[in-house]
Amino acid sequence: MSTHDSQLKIQAFLDDEMSARDAAEMEGLIANDAEARALLAELRNTNAALAAGEVECRLPETREFFWSKIEREISREMPVAAHVPKMPWLGWLRRRWLPVSSSAAVLTCAAAVLVSHPRHGALESGEMELASDEVGSYVFRDQKQQMTMVWLYDRNAEAALARPTSMVSSGRESDLE
Amino acid sequence: MKSNKLDHPSASDETLVGAAKRGDMMAFEELVARHRDKIYARAFSMVRNEDEAVDLSQEAWVKGWQRLVQFQGDSSFGTWMTRIVINLCLDQLRRRKRQRTESIEVINEEMGGVERQMPVVTSNPTERLERAELRKRIDQALGQLSHEHRTVLILHEFEDLEYKEIAKRMECSIGTVMSRLFYARRKMAVLLANLKTEEFK
Repeated sequence: MSTHDSQLKIQAFLDDEMSARDAAEMEGLIANDAEARALLAELRNTNAALAAGEVECRLPETREFFWSKIEREISREMPVAAHVPKMPWLGWLRRRWLPVSSSAAVLTCAAAVLVSHPRHGALESGEMELASDEVGSYVFRDQKQQMTMVWLYDRNAEAALARPTSMVSSGRESDLE
Repeated sequence: MKSNKLDHPSASDETLVGAAKRGDMMAFEELVARHRDKIYARAFSMVRNEDEAVDLSQEAWVKGWQRLVQFQGDSSFGTWMTRIVINLCLDQLRRRKRQRTESIEVINEEMGGVERQMPVVTSNPTERLERAELRKRIDQALGQLSHEHRTVLILHEFEDLEYKEIAKRMECSIGTVMSRLFYARRKMAVLLANLKTEEFK
């Protein structure tokens, strides 16, 4: 039983990866070979140990934060309906200025809430509304850290999705970047 | 996109999958919440890097959403998602392998010669160990295997895949799978025995 091929056959026998005929033949060989029996016993012991399973492992991110990243990726993959403005200059104006003005508005709202409720999770009870359909937002709230983050992005500019346009945070600096 | 009637936390996986297929994002979020640890754990066990495992499990969930219509319920949703993350991990490990230089030891292992020289471990190194302690030792030993050997062991022992299926996923021959599995098991036996010896010292 010293050849590599015969050792692999012992393993195949253990894993039930042999035909019934080959398995019967192998059983006979193992019965008459002490070395083969020792190897089979070692492989069985290892399998028995592995049957205990793996260490329990938990995702090192909160449910909300992990989901916010998945949701953002899913939204990015979704096709955005084609939109042709009736007046090209209006389209340009909306693309360039509305996200900025909306961001400014949100920042102002968030700042106002932060100032009025600095210790109770600024955006928890407040509501924000974006003026444009072209601006999207994601909000992540971590109760434990007492922190709220708001991502704003231009739906038309895919590149802008990749990074936060602006970020509002209450509480400690986060490790979410 | 809204489901007013469905109580997501108490709904079964099957119900949530059905709702998610109809566009209910909250149903999908509930599925993520239920299975995220399992998916992350599988990714971590394969790549052994926390950041990579988080990224890969996130990517798996996005793919899961995109391919949800393909899920027919032949296996459980958790098993289906695990298969997705395994494939992503295998791609990642292939990319890593292309970037690294093979050591002589790894090449020898790949050729299947090293394990023949290892003496048989006669005692059971994990006898009378508590389950938690045993799992910890297994994890330590798994961490010392090469990616190829660890992967084949995980797929066979923890995911219950047959040689043929492992070969297909790892894009190698059945002979290579058998060789890698044999080496991985023998090396595990030695590593577990060494851990026991170290404890006595």
